[in-house]
Amino acid sequence: MLAVTPAQKTPHEKQFLRLSLWAAGLLSITTGLWFATSTAAEIDPSIWPTSWLTRAQTASELQIKVFHEPPFLQQQVKNGELPPVMDRLPLDPMVLEPTTTNGTYGGTARIFESDWNMFNPVENPLTIDPTVAHIFPNTIKEWEISNEGRTITFKLRTGIKWSNGEPLDADDFIFFHRHQILNPELTPVPDPRWIGSKSEKIDDLTFRYHFNEPFPLLINLMAQLGDYYVTPSDYMRQFHPDFVNREALIKKIRQEGYISWMAYYNAIRLWTRNQPPLMPTLRPFQLIKRTATHKLYDRNAYYAKIDSLGQQLPYIDQISAEIIENQDVLAAKAATGQVDFAAFELKTQDFPLFKLGEKTAGIQVLVWNRLHGSDVIIEPNLNIKDKLLRAVFNDIRFRKALSVAINRDEMNSIIYFNKGVPRQPTVIPTSRFFEPEFASAYTQYDPTQAGTWLNEMNLIDRDEDGFRDYANGDKLTITLEFLDFETPKNITLELVTSYWREVGLDIRLKEVDPALQTSRATAGLMQMTVWHADRTTDILFPFQPMWYVPMHIGWEESHWNDWATYYLSQGLRGEKPPADIIQLQTWWHELARSTDPERVTELGKKILRSTAENLWTIGMIGLAPQPVIVSKRLKNVTLQGYWGWDNRWTMPYHPATWYLEK
Amino acid sequence: MSDHPLYEDLSTRRLTWLRFKRHKLALMSGGFLIFIYLIAIFCEFFAPYEPNWRNPKAIFAPPQEFHFFEANGNFQFRPFVYGYTLRINPETWVREYTEDTSQKHPIYFFSKGQKYQFWNLFTARHHFITTAKGQYLHIFGTDKLGRDIFSRIVYGARISLSLGLIGVVLTLVLGVLIGGLAGYLGGRTDNLIQRLIEVLQSIPTLPLWMALSAAVPVHWSPLGVYFSIIVILSFIQWTGLARVVRGRFLALREEDFVIAARLLGASQLRIITRHLLPSFMSHIITTATLAIPGMILAETALSFLGVGLRAPVVSWGVLLQQAQNFQVIVLTPWLLIPGIFVILVVIAFNLLGDGLRDAADPYGGHQL
Repeated sequence: MLAVTPAQKTPHEKQFLRLSLWAAGLLSITTGLWFATSTAAEIDPSIWPTSWLTRAQTASELQIKVFHEPPFLQQQVKNGELPPVMDRLPLDPMVLEPTTTNGTYGGTARIFESDWNMFNPVENPLTIDPTVAHIFPNTIKEWEISNEGRTITFKLRTGIKWSNGEPLDADDFIFFHRHQILNPELTPVPDPRWIGSKSEKIDDLTFRYHFNEPFPLLINLMAQLGDYYVTPSDYMRQFHPDFVNREALIKKIRQEGYISWMAYYNAIRLWTRNQPPLMPTLRPFQLIKRTATHKLYDRNAYYAKIDSLGQQLPYIDQISAEIIENQDVLAAKAATGQVDFAAFELKTQDFPLFKLGEKTAGIQVLVWNRLHGSDVIIEPNLNIKDKLLRAVFNDIRFRKALSVAINRDEMNSIIYFNKGVPRQPTVIPTSRFFEPEFASAYTQYDPTQAGTWLNEMNLIDRDEDGFRDYANGDKLTITLEFLDFETPKNITLELVTSYWREVGLDIRLKEVDPALQTSRATAGLMQMTVWHADRTTDILFPFQPMWYVPMHIGWEESHWNDWATYYLSQGLRGEKPPADIIQLQTWWHELARSTDPERVTELGKKILRSTAENLWTIGMIGLAPQPVIVSKRLKNVTLQGYWGWDNRWTMPYHPATWYLEK
Repeated sequence: MSDHPLYEDLSTRRLTWLRFKRHKLALMSGGFLIFIYLIAIFCEFFAPYEPNWRNPKAIFAPPQEFHFFEANGNFQFRPFVYGYTLRINPETWVREYTEDTSQKHPIYFFSKGQKYQFWNLFTARHHFITTAKGQYLHIFGTDKLGRDIFSRIVYGARISLSLGLIGVVLTLVLGVLIGGLAGYLGGRTDNLIQRLIEVLQSIPTLPLWMALSAAVPVHWSPLGVYFSIIVILSFIQWTGLARVVRGRFLALREEDFVIAARLLGASQLRIITRHLLPSFMSHIITTATLAIPGMILAETALSFLGVGLRAPVVSWGVLLQQAQNFQVIVLTPWLLIPGIFVILVVIAFNLLGDGLRDAADPYGGHQL
């Protein structure tokens, strides 16, 4: 059923399909196993419209000839401020099928600002299917991988426009490549894969990248993170010194309060909260106005997709997004029906509150499946400067002791109503890289064994204060700094500290804010920190196995920065890792460049097996339920979906088809 | 009048006591405070469980009801509670606890229960109130990790109440010393100290406390944090007391009885200890009593805001911090019980201070 059957396959696409399916995972064999191995954590794909499970069809394929103007824009069209819908839509727009019925136009959706990426998801060049296993065309129609993955050619659909009416063309991708990723000021340390790469414009809609080394995973990247790899070049030129006078630009930027043009450029370019109103976008909605407490979005008049009646999407006219920092206030507002959609900052343990809201406020609480391999993973800093602590962290017995000292079943019952899965951070069970023992390694609760391992390491309570000390008598205390964000980290860590205290380990918790998390994690200063193990699907695991291989530096991890720096700088900086870590990096180096699906699976499993055996990071509960709150009037939201960074939360479930019932 | 000796014949101490006894509310408050401080001092004995002990069978469990009658109507003298049966409602995802009448947990007094370290001196097992092994008693219910709220309140009392006392002692020392110095020396010193006090008092307290307590390093031990919080709180509070002490000093210096003593040739030390101190000591005690609830509330506020004491230390503020969201009011209101204790103690201290103020000056105001 999941055998992708596009209506017309070009030779390029055929080749892509062969090449990308390994990258995207789930060949027909695994598809066959889908139902056989089905657990509570998996979703039956039949709940989604069948058209979602293949690439989107276009108007010409469905014989749609008449396109309808949204009433919201009619006046502007009449006044001549906006071209008619025929001219705004691409030549052959993609058609989206809603879950229930084609909607009606109008209304303002109320959301929290933290859900802006979920209600108004990215429009990537390629997209991901609802099962998070396949990659489908989106604004890019065709692609070809040649020269053993060293050359990749993309062809865009005709007539797609940015929200300011400028066409989306090859220049936008070339601009990103030449003036952003290869600009030494903007990207001082580029991903090594881009070093020495070239871009080539073939015609307005066709472009090509050449890489020194094979980079087949660019396809995954274009599907998951693709919005980052294309820039509205006509608009962004005014902020780039390659195109405008540098002095004048810097003067302008100083007035905005930024220290450099790069800082300003990144602030408006990345999907941050700082995006200026009217910045061109491809998403369904366009930011119009922003205040300290609110953001207002209007429908993107140039959004490139339609429904089967020829109505331009989205159905909803406006979004009013309220900025709320306090998660408790947010949960309370969501539970009392004060928004139409809420999910991102909602916590599993608040389900009873939300369910109460079903009765009293008429909201609907949907249960989506989180893609996190583990909601919380603990990262002991293996590169910490403190020599004593470093020796302890690098001892496998210590990490094993940390893991088996945790009572995951009790944790699952306390936080997750027994609806999560106790597991180590590893890929999801439907991934082709998955083996059950990767998830179950050292998850058995065994405090006695933990004590034995710690005693073997000569970590014994020497001053009889109830906590273990170093062999030289110094106190062993560990400070765990964490950002309470996205998953229930606070309560999990409260439990973890109490389990670890029971085996005599003195852990101090400290909550930090995002800025501190970023600066301290990237500098490798934290003794221990936590994140959620995303990148667990066939889309992102091969591309960014950051929990399993030192190959990335970011706010998400702080456990082996010096080793990652060594790899990323090709040995110039950082610290030479031990042999087993070099082995991991070598495996991944080959995986990322290989175009042989079997070899890729083999290497991926080797990497994951190493994590299961060495516990580079320690997992808790994964595949947990995610509350998604929908108001009574918001229609067409799919009842179940996979929730996570890997599929950009809602991207495969087409929020552009959601509508507000009158 | 005939039953009572003339008040002129009585000692000051006796007079004070008589006057204080007339303030019924203050008397009751004093009794209540003694009771609750006793609990705080012997909290290991009074609490059935350790504050961080978790009962995984009772997450967010409501308070248990005391019974004397069994389900079949049989009376028994020893009170008992019923164990919970837990069911997670598939519709509402709420943990529903019902009394399981087949699980009777009799309550024993002065009996053996969970092992504890009494004052870190010796190991003991006897509790004021406890149940048999494997059974449990949650008088005020449990929190999100299944910890017993009653035990946590009892342990929290030790931290919160002692913090108030120690803080006030520190405040007193600082206030009397600096205020006394200002009042006694006068002139430039007095001027300097007065301006310093004004500067300190002009800073909004909450942001200052927050800034100072945020500066407490995270790797400090809970005891270190505890004392640093006391120091931070006293740092602001002494100013008010110093003002009062200085004022009294200045005023009393010129009083007739001080002048008389001086003219009679009393030494400086004798004047201070025999004449000055007794006449404003009562006042200081009153001020101090009224300052304790301020301390307790300040600690509660800081911990409530998450910048005061940190887990695993349990104080009333730490307990209330867990109760600061909407969910608690709707689903688990028993987490607010620590707030009742804060209110009771603060009211008791205020009433006691009120009574003390009246009693402190037995010769003034209305007669007996």
